[in-house]
Amino acid sequence: MVTQWQKVVLFFLLSIFINASLAMGLRSLVALPVEKGGGVLRVAILGTEESERETITTALAYGINAQQTLLMGLPYRVSSATHSSQKNNRLGDMSLLYRHLVVQQDSRPGTNRFGLLAGALIPTEQDNELAIQGGFVFTHFKRRHEIDIDAVYQAGQNDRLDSGRFDLSWQYRLSPQSYPDWGIPQQINSIMEFNGRWLQGQDTTGQLTLGLQWLYTQWVIEGGLVKDINNNKQRHYLFSVRFHF
Amino acid sequence: MKKFMILLIFLAALGSAMVQARTIEIDVHGMTCTFCVDTLQRSFTQFKTVSKVEVSLKHKKIRLETEDNLPSIDTIKQTVLDAGFTPINIVVQ
Repeated sequence: MVTQWQKVVLFFLLSIFINASLAMGLRSLVALPVEKGGGVLRVAILGTEESERETITTALAYGINAQQTLLMGLPYRVSSATHSSQKNNRLGDMSLLYRHLVVQQDSRPGTNRFGLLAGALIPTEQDNELAIQGGFVFTHFKRRHEIDIDAVYQAGQNDRLDSGRFDLSWQYRLSPQSYPDWGIPQQINSIMEFNGRWLQGQDTTGQLTLGLQWLYTQWVIEGGLVKDINNNKQRHYLFSVRFHF
Repeated sequence: MKKFMILLIFLAALGSAMVQARTIEIDVHGMTCTFCVDTLQRSFTQFKTVSKVEVSLKHKKIRLETEDNLPSIDTIKQTVLDAGFTPINIVVQ
């Protein structure tokens, strides 16, 4: 028997993972550009150990120009439904976000970028309500280090509860230590994140995320483990593939 | 005489090609990872007059080789900006 509380958590997790799917960190959003007319397609599978729940999220980022990006995502629940109301619909809410970079300070060793986010979570089920979402994202990159910070508030409409999230992500280039003079090198990054997920009426769930990322030409393959450090202390795993076109 | 003329024409064509060949180096700020290299490489490969594109994440440079008319400096700058980076200096050799 699944409680109302569990239903809300599942619903919230779906929302989170839509948003998380467009990051250069594992789960954080990022303020790095998608070039004009270019895009990034990401397919991510996320599972929760204890509940054997798995969700595949397909996400697309499209560069309107170097400053403006559209981010779309749709989760699909693979594992069997844990609540009767979910049996007929495996799709979660569709996330639409518009990102506008308002600060760009490029330098030789890196960049600082700050962007604003605005959009909506659009329900795929009639029973669910819309949420309006807004926030910011900041990226600092220098030499082998990248730090991403984001915060998003999701204001539920009508009966839908408000929710929110924040992410602090640090990525470090493990390999290569030094780039070749010319050409595209393979790259391996370590990822460490502190994430927070909040749902109206509940305590914020703090999470630690550790992962690895492999980048080469147009591809990124990455994976990691997520541990809730409070509340139900669940463990999650994440694996994803991104293609840049 | 005929062979001499053919040789002359060949040398003239070769000389012309050598004169027209250009190398352009662009200093770019804001590059962070291999995605950036790929983005810039694909952006400049679209130019028909550019025969070779090399990008250096180490030196933060793009090197273009052209064998025909050069893309204009404004076009080069705009291509870098559209890719999301900042062009700093463009040198035509």
